[in-house]
Amino acid sequence: MADKKSFLKNIGSFFEEVGDLSRFAGRFFKEAVSPPFEFRELLKQCYYMGNKSFFLVAVTGFILGVVFTLQTRPTLEEFGAVAWMPSMISISIVREIGPVIIALICAGRIGSSIGAELGSMKVTEQIDAMEVSGTNPFKFLVVTRIAATTLMIPLLVILGDFIALIGSAIIENMKGDVSFQLYFNQVFDALKFSDLMPATVKTFFFGFAIGLVGCYKGYNSKKGTAGVGKASNSAVVYTSMLLFIIDFIAVFVSDLFYS
Amino acid sequence: MNSKPKPAFASDEIVLSIDTLFKAFGDNKVLNGFSLHLKKGENLVLMGRSGSGKSVLIKCLVGLIKPDSGTIEISGNNIADLEQKEMDELRTTIGFLFQGSALYDSMTVRENLEFPLRRHTKKLSQNEIEELVFDTLESVGLKHTVDLMPAELSGGMQRRIALARALILKPKIIIYDEPTTGLDPITSKEIIELMNNIQEQYQTSSLIITHDVDCARVVSNRIILLLDGVNYAEGTFEELSSSKDEKIKAFFK
Amino acid sequence: MSNTAQNFRLGLFVFAGVFIFILAVYFLGNRQNLFGDNVRISSVFKNVNGLQMGNNVRFAGVNVGTVRGITILNDTAINVDMLISEKTAQLIKKNALATITSDGLVGSMIVNIIPNDIFIEERIETGDTISSISKIATADMLTTLNTTNENAALLTQDLLRITNAINKGEGVLGALIKDEALLDDVKKSLSNLQQTTQTAKTSMFELNRIIKEVNFDDNIAGLLLKDTVSVRKLATVFDNLETSSKEIEQLTKNLNAFSETLKTNEGILNYALHDTIAVKNLDATLKNAEEASERLNENMEALKHNFLFRGYFRKLERQEAREERRQN
Repeated sequence: MADKKSFLKNIGSFFEEVGDLSRFAGRFFKEAVSPPFEFRELLKQCYYMGNKSFFLVAVTGFILGVVFTLQTRPTLEEFGAVAWMPSMISISIVREIGPVIIALICAGRIGSSIGAELGSMKVTEQIDAMEVSGTNPFKFLVVTRIAATTLMIPLLVILGDFIALIGSAIIENMKGDVSFQLYFNQVFDALKFSDLMPATVKTFFFGFAIGLVGCYKGYNSKKGTAGVGKASNSAVVYTSMLLFIIDFIAVFVSDLFYS
Repeated sequence: MNSKPKPAFASDEIVLSIDTLFKAFGDNKVLNGFSLHLKKGENLVLMGRSGSGKSVLIKCLVGLIKPDSGTIEISGNNIADLEQKEMDELRTTIGFLFQGSALYDSMTVRENLEFPLRRHTKKLSQNEIEELVFDTLESVGLKHTVDLMPAELSGGMQRRIALARALILKPKIIIYDEPTTGLDPITSKEIIELMNNIQEQYQTSSLIITHDVDCARVVSNRIILLLDGVNYAEGTFEELSSSKDEKIKAFFK
Repeated sequence: MSNTAQNFRLGLFVFAGVFIFILAVYFLGNRQNLFGDNVRISSVFKNVNGLQMGNNVRFAGVNVGTVRGITILNDTAINVDMLISEKTAQLIKKNALATITSDGLVGSMIVNIIPNDIFIEERIETGDTISSISKIATADMLTTLNTTNENAALLTQDLLRITNAINKGEGVLGALIKDEALLDDVKKSLSNLQQTTQTAKTSMFELNRIIKEVNFDDNIAGLLLKDTVSVRKLATVFDNLETSSKEIEQLTKNLNAFSETLKTNEGILNYALHDTIAVKNLDATLKNAEEASERLNENMEALKHNFLFRGYFRKLERQEAREERRQN
């Protein structure tokens, strides 16, 4: 009986949180479109999220391409379909694996740092200080960060995809004597707009989700250092979950559109 | 250091007044009809035990928390009637020193000081801003820290930088939230001295929240005791410290 | 780091990302002829075999454009719109032919434009409709190929069997494969023969046992022998049995002789095909054998009934009696 009650309570608090998050998102849109705009802070955040995550994304993307190619090759070799490697790898990387893996990496890096930063700002009254000095902290901290992730994640995904394909091309070049030109020729032969476009559009949503959940968790962090840790941790957990949900919806919707 | 208590302030011009303020969080009635008046140029110390609602009160003053009922007037404006923009403008006339300094971790000392300047006095040139930053830093004696990050400073230095940030817009009112908490006695004395200097130099009115008796004695023109959510007692340090009331005496032990 | 350096790096980063994206879009667009000057032509097909928008258009095997639209005009005409790059369009004549084929065995469908053998000067322009020809689609080809394959498999199996038979010297089957009736006869006869000999063997054994009993005991069988009618019947049976055995012997001899001939002869198939008399002889022999064994079988059946029970005689007696009655 007690279990049932706490279960119901958990369900209740889950929906409460979803509702709260939706309101937070609504506030973002309301504040994002009304002046003043914090361009300087936006650029700064873009720099920290984009440039500073690039190395991580590049390394991950490269390894992803290399490993994926090495793992897939024997299977296709069995069918005598090694010539399909570039098409297969490019479609799976551009459509699905690239966006999801890179978004997850960024959720870990960017989402958690937003959660921790805003959490500690909240705890040490920096957010209050900002409001008191006449600056809307929501605009200054939240809007810029969500906007920055929404803009930067797609760029990171594009670069990450590209680097993954380079990694894959290097392996194909070494193992299969496929020249880079032939490799990318086949890649572009295999890819269609219907592969590239939905995949790119969904990365904007990924970016938005990473920024939104990170900011939400940080901005509503509980007092104390434990609160900050929890904000940072749950930002990553919830973002990762949300990413898969968005991915599912995106695949579903693009399937409807392009079938 | 001037350790003698100051006399009550003569001016009658009231810059800030709180009238029968109520605020409750659930069943916990924090403010229960609290009233106070801050006169121009005076240092008013608000004393109260931890959890007595001092922080809630000052957050109500700057609009961080909305009171349940009661009015707050700052420089003749009822803050409940103000638009967001007018509120922000009014806030520029109030300096706020937070309990934990609340310096922006991600910015250098210079950026911390520039932050309120850039957002409110858009007409200032880069040189003027620079000059103002250095002048203010000089007045707290920390000119050399201008390009350091807050994390590289000691607690006392952070507090002074925070004070500089509160001063940089030349506010009419400064609210100090426990300015000496967490500092060693010597650093505390430095801060207290600084507060007195500021009063003389800038002619500001200050509302100081503290439970540090030494601090209260040195900086106050007047003291208000916040007890059970109401203005329990009011007077100069000498009047209150010589009171026969047990509850009042408890504050000055 | 100063603000300008930061902004510069950010700019570089954004530029790199956007550049790669635009490059990707450009290349993809180029493949699908979204940019540049294009000539729009169409062709009407009866069946487009699953052709889709965006599929490639090839001219003499080179990708020159894409399919832009497929509209069903009526139940036998499907209009396919194609965009072809300006450059190659200058090489395509108005009388070129369009055909839909598949790109490899498992690839997507493509429209192939083939130059016509008849030379004309006019080149295609936007809005032109070129004629289409239908080729057997791969799918159909694959089906046909499949059937052919199956047939071939059966053929080789048969051939293998025949050659095996020939090699082993079981020439009769090999030689007679064309004559199905004959083959059937042979099969039937041989199995009959086997059955008969088997039955004969058991019958003889049984008969021997009964005869012994008749000689040494005065029992039911002895009584039975006294019955003149029965004795007469039994005599006939024995006669028949003897004849049958003789016939079988003869038949086996014949068969042996025949197979001997086959073995000694080279190229049984040859032999069988050219020497029709031999085949006919064999046919006759086999028929005889069949008849003989059938008769023998009948006799054996009668014997069985006779010796184990007397029912057969009784049946005959009753039959005779009935006949007598009828005659009377």
